[in-house]
Amino acid sequence: MTVTVPSGGGGLPDRPSGSGLADVIDTILDKGLVIDAFVRVSLVGIEVLTIDARVVVASVDTYLRFAEAVNRLDLEQSKEGLPELIGDVTQGVAHNKSKGVAQGVIEAAGEKLHDYIAGTVEEPEPERRVRRRSGG
Amino acid sequence: MSSSTETSRPVGAAARGEGGIACYVYGIVPEDVDISPDAVGVGDPPGRVRLIRHGEIGALVSDVAVDRPLGRAEDLVGHEALLDGAAAEVPVLPLRFGAVLTSPEAVVGELLEPHHDEFVAALKEIEGHVQYVIRATYGERSVLHEILADNAEVRRLRDQIRGLPEDATRGERIRIGELITQAIAAKREADTQTVVDCFAPCTVAAVIRDATHERDAANVAFMVRLDQEADFEMVLGELRREWADRIDVRVLGPMAVYDFVTSA
Repeated sequence: MTVTVPSGGGGLPDRPSGSGLADVIDTILDKGLVIDAFVRVSLVGIEVLTIDARVVVASVDTYLRFAEAVNRLDLEQSKEGLPELIGDVTQGVAHNKSKGVAQGVIEAAGEKLHDYIAGTVEEPEPERRVRRRSGG
Repeated sequence: MSSSTETSRPVGAAARGEGGIACYVYGIVPEDVDISPDAVGVGDPPGRVRLIRHGEIGALVSDVAVDRPLGRAEDLVGHEALLDGAAAEVPVLPLRFGAVLTSPEAVVGELLEPHHDEFVAALKEIEGHVQYVIRATYGERSVLHEILADNAEVRRLRDQIRGLPEDATRGERIRIGELITQAIAAKREADTQTVVDCFAPCTVAAVIRDATHERDAANVAFMVRLDQEADFEMVLGELRREWADRIDVRVLGPMAVYDFVTSA
């Protein structure tokens, strides 16, 4: 059968995502058909080691990091004119997504995982191992 | 299209597979597919992938030992690599990581048979489609400059903490960070909408994913027809040019349509 491969030009990846493990986790731990929505009887109780690696978007740590980044930005920068005019900032739209005390632990775990990712994972070549029968 | 919040993770008292071996399920495909002998998935060593057929559909499975935990980095990558490789060739309904049934009979009796017609219909619907994910991230310096320029309160607080130790200005620093986070959230909402609108003409459907990084500008999954890929790529190029100075745009895929198969 004909295989459609994205045309060249550097836009789309020319093979299935060579993405990092963090991206893989976002996808396959959070998305996809959930089997226990269908089946409850004979799922095996295998321990699944994965963690919820979702990074908390707003936390005190994040706030302090941003503050320091702004502080540094200011030092690095000469008096590159900050506009006098104040734009209409739509702060009202934002909402705080703070998720409580566990977040530090989760973030730490996430970081650890990222370290792990950086080192050890070998991406298997995503070759075409599942295909329509010839003639199909 | 709302995803169930239940997880397919440990089901405590469930039955064990025969001889400590059970069936790990990756996804559902049409019955008429071939699997090459070197296709492997999760486990250590990785299990050989095979097809369990029923009617017009089949389940991609491999044997897995029940006494060993799953979830090493290699397992996660193995699961996705198999499905994404398959999705490039055939329609696939991808399962979330970690679905294990006791036996091949259970795969047929509890998964394929009861849902045969639904799966057939869903496979027909996604035939010829793949998923791409657009992940856009603000450059830290550029987004902070934008926010400083726009927000007098942040500028005022920044002047207040200047030259003072962190301990003495903790309150102000937290406030600055909070304001910046809020400003980014507002930008994210606008830029996510831009991404959705830009790609709408060359995609079939979109799912906005939750932000998973504090500088996420957009995180959107698109279902793309194979004949739309060239247009998708063109729009991607335009967006990258437009955002070159402020936002990094990455694209993941082609992958199985993970974001579009959650049970209704």
